Amino acid sequence: MLRCRNFSSLVIDTLGDGTDEAAEKDITVACFYFDFAAQQEQSAAGMLAALLKQVVSGLEPIPKEIVDVFREQKKIIGGRRLQVPEIVKMLGGFSSSRRTFFCLDALDECAAAERAKILRSLRDIIKVSSTARVFMTGRPHVGDEVEKNLPGRVTAVSISPRKDDIIRYIRRKLAEDSTSDEMDERLEAEIVKRIPETVSEM
Amino acid sequence: MSQDSSFLTGFPRSPGPSGHTGDFPNTAGFLNHNINCFNINNVANVAVADDRSEILTWLSPLEPRLRHYDIQTRRVENVGDWLLRTEQFRRWRSGSSSSSGGGGRGESQKATMFCSGNPGVGKTYIR
Repeated sequence: MLRCRNFSSLVIDTLGDGTDEAAEKDITVACFYFDFAAQQEQSAAGMLAALLKQVVSGLEPIPKEIVDVFREQKKIIGGRRLQVPEIVKMLGGFSSSRRTFFCLDALDECAAAERAKILRSLRDIIKVSSTARVFMTGRPHVGDEVEKNLPGRVTAVSISPRKDDIIRYIRRKLAEDSTSDEMDERLEAEIVKRIPETVSEM
Repeated sequence: MSQDSSFLTGFPRSPGPSGHTGDFPNTAGFLNHNINCFNINNVANVAVADDRSEILTWLSPLEPRLRHYDIQTRRVENVGDWLLRTEQFRRWRSGSSSSSGGGGRGESQKATMFCSGNPGVGKTYIR
């Protein structure tokens, strides 16, 4: 999902750069990139905790409720990590006081059972926080799950390659090509013209 | 001591005032409280600053930001900018705060944006 990754990355940076005319200064952007290869560590609890970590790292000092649990668990041998309901409650609370964007990339690469938990958690967070926003990318087939778990709360956009995007991408790749001895202007022009034609129906 | 007693009331199994009168019916409990008091009194102020990175690592050992920076460097400039200009994106981003008129309640509730990309589109040609 290279293209979706690009979009997630672009959106994350755009949200954080403060160019939004209506934006307040205090904005938190927390992101997560799902990856087939990392499904083990990318459980619902693991993902939500990673979001919480990013939110908390922007807070000074660290909220007392977190410090309290941290100290408490230190007394237990091996400690313990936060559970999903605790994390959801904290994320809902912290995202209520400042605009917070949660950006999740490639939802389809997350294990299905965990994905359901994640979507329900997000629903609970935006239910209590009017300043929380969620941006997600994924293959179309997870769109139904998203709608089902967040009924009436989803703006769905279909990403298909735009011709100008494709041309930009090809030009960049050609510029990076190390075997460019064989490349001349005519061949480049041909490639830039032909490849977008083959996907122009999208 | 007044400070300590307010702390003790936080415990569900606090021995109460009788615990301090001299007859210690629950010695183990009393000692426990003392230990807790010791921790709080001596560590509380310093720990918040010192433990910061330890607490963050405890929250999550994952570093999604690193992944983000990695993808960021490989991103092609201006690709995807059209999405940022769509009405849907702007509305989602600015949220209910900008459209605070009573009317568009249904839209302002859409706190979630889902972008779907077709497999086979882009992946084959754009790699």
